[in-house]
Amino acid sequence: MKIVLLGMNHRSAPVEIREHFAAEEMTLPEAVQDLAAEPEVSECVVISTCNRVEVVVATREPEGARAHLDDFFSRKLARGESLPGPGKLADYTYFHADEAAVSHVFRVASAIDSMVVGEPQILGQLKDAYRSSVEHGSCGPILSRLFQRAFATAKRVKNETQIAQRPVSVARVAVELARQIFEGLNDKKALMIGAGEMIEAALVALQREGLESLRVANRTRSRAEALAGRFGASAHDLDELDELLVDSDIVLSCIGGTGYSLDPRRVAKALKTRRNQPIFLIDIGVPRNIDPRVNDLDSAYLYDIDDLQEIAYSNAEERRREAVEAEKIVAEEQERLASWMVSLAAVPTIRHLRERVDTVRQQELERSLSKLALSDTQVEGVSALTRSIVNKILHHPLARLGAQTDREEGLAVVEEVRALFALDDSGAREGDGDPPE
Amino acid sequence: MIEFQQTAAAIYLAAGIFSLLGLALPAPWLGRLGVRLLALGAGVQGIAFASLHRMSPVPDLTDLLYTVSFSAWAAVLSLLLLMWRLRISGLTAAVGPLAFLAVFLPSLGGVPIADSGAPLLEGAVPHAHTLLSSAGLGLLGIAGLAGVFYLAEHRHLKSKRLVGRRLALPSLEALDKVDTAALVVGFPLLTLGLITGSAWLHASSGEFWVWTPHAIWTLVGWGIYATMAFARFGGGQSARQAAASSVGGFVFLFFAVVGVELLK
Repeated sequence: MKIVLLGMNHRSAPVEIREHFAAEEMTLPEAVQDLAAEPEVSECVVISTCNRVEVVVATREPEGARAHLDDFFSRKLARGESLPGPGKLADYTYFHADEAAVSHVFRVASAIDSMVVGEPQILGQLKDAYRSSVEHGSCGPILSRLFQRAFATAKRVKNETQIAQRPVSVARVAVELARQIFEGLNDKKALMIGAGEMIEAALVALQREGLESLRVANRTRSRAEALAGRFGASAHDLDELDELLVDSDIVLSCIGGTGYSLDPRRVAKALKTRRNQPIFLIDIGVPRNIDPRVNDLDSAYLYDIDDLQEIAYSNAEERRREAVEAEKIVAEEQERLASWMVSLAAVPTIRHLRERVDTVRQQELERSLSKLALSDTQVEGVSALTRSIVNKILHHPLARLGAQTDREEGLAVVEEVRALFALDDSGAREGDGDPPE
Repeated sequence: MIEFQQTAAAIYLAAGIFSLLGLALPAPWLGRLGVRLLALGAGVQGIAFASLHRMSPVPDLTDLLYTVSFSAWAAVLSLLLLMWRLRISGLTAAVGPLAFLAVFLPSLGGVPIADSGAPLLEGAVPHAHTLLSSAGLGLLGIAGLAGVFYLAEHRHLKSKRLVGRRLALPSLEALDKVDTAALVVGFPLLTLGLITGSAWLHASSGEFWVWTPHAIWTLVGWGIYATMAFARFGGGQSARQAAASSVGGFVFLFFAVVGVELLK
């Protein structure tokens, strides 16, 4: 049995191509069942996220399966106009087989292959895809084993490396910095100065943290009200800044105009009123909205967009370094799965060899017994004797077949045994048996 | 008793090492193990103190061995208590090794510290003085330690040199809360220690005060903490200033209580 994979991701295809292939939740189960019904496809799992569409298949005939996978992409997944023609699809997809396919699935699960290395969502999406395939009956023992090992690999990577430890977006960096200043964020109040897209993105991140209150102050009150309404925040005029500053723990500013909207004198006054309780100020405006000298105040911590981006870039670089360690774990786990696959390949040969030898034993036993006049007890004794002899002779070769872990050597031994005992003549092939657990 | 003290010291050291590894490596379980070991060390040290009452005769608690060791025990217990409410397990990385020194070194040989001006006297008052003063010293030690961590974290955040930093220290707010709580409890204990010391002196000599180095330095230390408490709760001192004061205050007080005796 082989594992093959056909996929399209953020590296192989631009978004204007990818968006035509994103799997539709409603029609996907039926399409997957159709694919699984093809004789060349034993099992299949479809992974569909914002950045990738991949179909993983367990098959005895990789070439035949490849044709079905191409067909699945171009007929079942593709929709809309200006699609790449059948010949062009290969330009935007990748095809992996055997170890490369296993390695790819492990790398995807461990978020090494993600656009943002180490992002945590992909593992959940992979688990959903696997669960859906199990529910629809398209996932069997081979892919179950593959995905279980992929989840275990992702867990190892998460625990043994720092790939997911550091935030890589400006908003997450700001939240992490706030956590270094404040013990918890759920009793903190945030003030947003401005009502643009950056403020909106920050509100999304801060709302997720469950702050006690969010306030939006803007020159145009109506814009502040419109934005605040969407996030359950209160809207204010810029004239109220001094009062708002007094009970704000986090201040995020991104507003147009020249001159600083907050200077050291204003912040110092607010700090005095709030008895020097610290304020975390984030200035993501260009030109800057907050006088950098505010950072000289004891209880004010000011970060501008460059400070945050420098940390974000550095963290992304750190994640890429950690990905090298993660690749080693993936290689180890890939090796373990390959050993299991080799032992799987030996199962039908072991079963077939047993059947062949037992058939010979029974034929010879019947021929001999027909010439002898033996009692039932004696027949039973002779039969047991022949079984015992056969078992002892077969013990070593069967044990060796079952113990093979090296793929090349393992397959060579299987072929040797099949040739020696002429097992191929009777039709049993590799992969016919049930996989061992 | 000494065996229990030394066992507790070894456990404290292990707690500190595991906690430090937990801070530096991507393995939070090491930090959790460090905290559990710290609690185990406190338990063993508690058994050590309990075993004192089985000794015959019951030894006098007013010597350096017990004073410093009891201070460390009070510090560890107060830290464990604060950990219920605050994410400050990172402090174990410093408290563990310091508790090891405070428990192990005195266990190598007791040094008398009874020169508070009062002669040795059996009864509750001398022991109350030792226990209250030691507990106060331990708590103010925790305040000082939180202050050191606060200043380091504050410096990092102000300088914005966070790139490549691996140590995950407690938040500034948590450290400030530790500093405040330790001062709120530690300073009254120190005050009660001074009052019981004076009562001890009066019971033995009829005087409430004698001008010995131990008494003078301790009184000045108390004065420093009284000023700090006023600045903190009445004067709107910033958290950074409070942290710096806690560090300086503890260095002075430690010298007043332990250093002066060792220099004699």
